[in-house]
Amino acid sequence: MNKQYIQILSIVLIAAGFAMTAFLYWTEPRSFAEVTTKGQVALGTYEINKDEFSRGLGLFRADDFIGSRIAFNRADPEKRDANTQFYIAYSYYRQGWGRVSSDDSLFKPGLDAVNHTIPLDPNFRTMDENLVMKTPSELKNELEEGLKITPSDFNPMKLMRERK
Amino acid sequence: MNSSLEEIEAEQVIDLGQDHDEETAVAKRPRPKAKDQRPQLTYLLLPSIFLAVTLIGGLRLGAADNAFIFLKPPLICLVFASVLLILFFRSGLMSVEGWFSEGFPTLQNVANGAVLLTVFAASTQLFNSLLPEKGLPLWVVGFCFFWTLWNNLFAEFDTKKLLRSLGALFGLAFVVKYLVLANLTATGDASLLQRIWADPAKEAFTWLLDLPRYAAGTGYIQFFTLALYLVGIFLTPQTTKK
Repeated sequence: MNKQYIQILSIVLIAAGFAMTAFLYWTEPRSFAEVTTKGQVALGTYEINKDEFSRGLGLFRADDFIGSRIAFNRADPEKRDANTQFYIAYSYYRQGWGRVSSDDSLFKPGLDAVNHTIPLDPNFRTMDENLVMKTPSELKNELEEGLKITPSDFNPMKLMRERK
Repeated sequence: MNSSLEEIEAEQVIDLGQDHDEETAVAKRPRPKAKDQRPQLTYLLLPSIFLAVTLIGGLRLGAADNAFIFLKPPLICLVFASVLLILFFRSGLMSVEGWFSEGFPTLQNVANGAVLLTVFAASTQLFNSLLPEKGLPLWVVGFCFFWTLWNNLFAEFDTKKLLRSLGALFGLAFVVKYLVLANLTATGDASLLQRIWADPAKEAFTWLLDLPRYAAGTGYIQFFTLALYLVGIFLTPQTTKK
């Protein structure tokens, strides 16, 4: 092969090698499977696993929130889909909701999840008719209210409220 | 004139066939020149080796689940790699004129620069591999590296001496990190109390020296990294001139 072609090939090889190394050290995948997923994210071809999402949705509607979160996390391992992340946050809300008091240990990760959802799609609005709260902002407000202790918490009329 | 020369040459060829047997005639033919493999070595094999070292030099395996952990090199590794490159040029392992010259075509200068960049990146990652990640061992081993490289900068060196010195330096650092310190580190995913009960000395060293816990496979990967780097340095030509 002509020496010039070898040199051009060398420059291309080195550029590709550095790009791959930088990608791996930047994204820090923890397994070969994650290398593929993160590669899809970098190339813009990332999609959620629709089967896992459907399974998660079924479990969510059956009030199996732990199971639904496992399925949702499998569906969106990179946590980049606003819809899936919204359901995860909502599952924390529904699981932690109580007529007398809310479970802070579930509301806190719910708040983290909804805070993660908002930047993914600031204009996100769910199409699910079964959900009372349609936007991450509404859900965030509900979760924040649940974490605070206010005089209204001692209002006996609170016992009449319904889970959203 | 030309035609007479051709006739003479033709006669000589015929004479060769007539006067000597077939074997002798074959022996006298000029042997075809061996194809020069140096461009492939310099521009394809060497960067591949050094890129592989760059890629796996910062790779560790988690103790609990063998998950990949990619550690970015600390700043001191870049400083050490720069000093090492200066040493390579000072000792004559590589010559500046042999790698960059006004007489070279631009493409060759660019390709040489790219190859040297891989040498620098691989050296950085090798220090990243051999330096303990944190705690007292980082300072001790880091100081030893600094002391050796600093002394070497002002010593009279030739290529062989430098390679021997580097082999010893890197070999010792590997033994310290992946044999001595790794054997002092408590691993496994048992609870703290269970680990203290099982081996209190290891747990104490892990805590005192602030040693990170990695899977045993890390040592094997880094041994391969070190070996690959030394092979790469051994194959690096002093010059890319013909």
